Amino acid sequence: MLTMLEEVVLLAVDEMSGGLRSTREFGTAYALVGAVLFDLALAGKIDTDTEDIQIVDRTPTGNATLDHVLDAVARHPHISTVRQWIEEIFQRRRDLEGEALRSLMAQGILRHEKTKRLWIIDVERFPLVNNKPQQHVKMRLAQAILTDIIPDTHDIMLVSIAEACGLLGFVVSDAQLSARRQRIQTLCGLETISRKVTAAIADLDATMRQAMTKVV
Amino acid sequence: MIEVTEQTRSGWCVLGVSGRADAETAAELESRLRGAVENHPQVAVDFSALAYISSAGIRAVLQAARAAQEGKVEFAVCAPSAPVRKVFDMSGLDHILTIHGELPC
Repeated sequence: MLTMLEEVVLLAVDEMSGGLRSTREFGTAYALVGAVLFDLALAGKIDTDTEDIQIVDRTPTGNATLDHVLDAVARHPHISTVRQWIEEIFQRRRDLEGEALRSLMAQGILRHEKTKRLWIIDVERFPLVNNKPQQHVKMRLAQAILTDIIPDTHDIMLVSIAEACGLLGFVVSDAQLSARRQRIQTLCGLETISRKVTAAIADLDATMRQAMTKVV
Repeated sequence: MIEVTEQTRSGWCVLGVSGRADAETAAELESRLRGAVENHPQVAVDFSALAYISSAGIRAVLQAARAAQEGKVEFAVCAPSAPVRKVFDMSGLDHILTIHGELPC
């Protein structure tokens, strides 16, 4: 079974070219931190209330990426809120995307291609070797968005992270996204982690806009 | 700690939940709610004595509500205490579930 981090990164792979879709560079990094926190919550290692994170179980999960973050959270008990943790992990983040890509390759879902453009520029691609896991992720997301069925909690988390990464437009059409905007907002608001990720991205966007205004 | 009581009233299976619904108790809460959903056509969950609910507790309620929807069981979340109501409001849970101010029976 794939982790939430792996599912989101897999969703970002263009099924035709193997290129990685990136719509919001720093926003995506925040969202991937959220995905790791969700993975830890699903593994029963952390719990959250409306503001704070509590560590429930410090024993390792066996997944190096998750255990690195769990260890960091456990070593800094003075940082207690979800928002502080998102910022802390964001600042000291390792290459979460790269770690997920390597895991997906090890599982035989992707392969790595490195080519040159204009003989100089390295171009990396990750073509699908097995497209079923990506299709499965897309199908679950589409069902969560387009129907009124109560989704599995894992899929609620996945919708919120995919939305924060700007990836839902690769799952359903623009018209469907527009028609189901209220449903998406509802699903994104259910979890404290996704609400705080959204707030972090909004603050980042505001800072960037302010910086651009000063430059202009 | 969580305590779940069960009684039948006017055709409804009424579960009274007290204590804390968090990562430690969420599995037990989900199991009790799902058990009721599997055996009764109408299930009401009384949260008036629940002191605290975390994200793990909300997930337990959502999973049970999902099972109820799949089984065409009427599932009513009722009378949340003030701290639980606050969490429900912040998460927008009432957009997914119907939350009743009082028990239906």
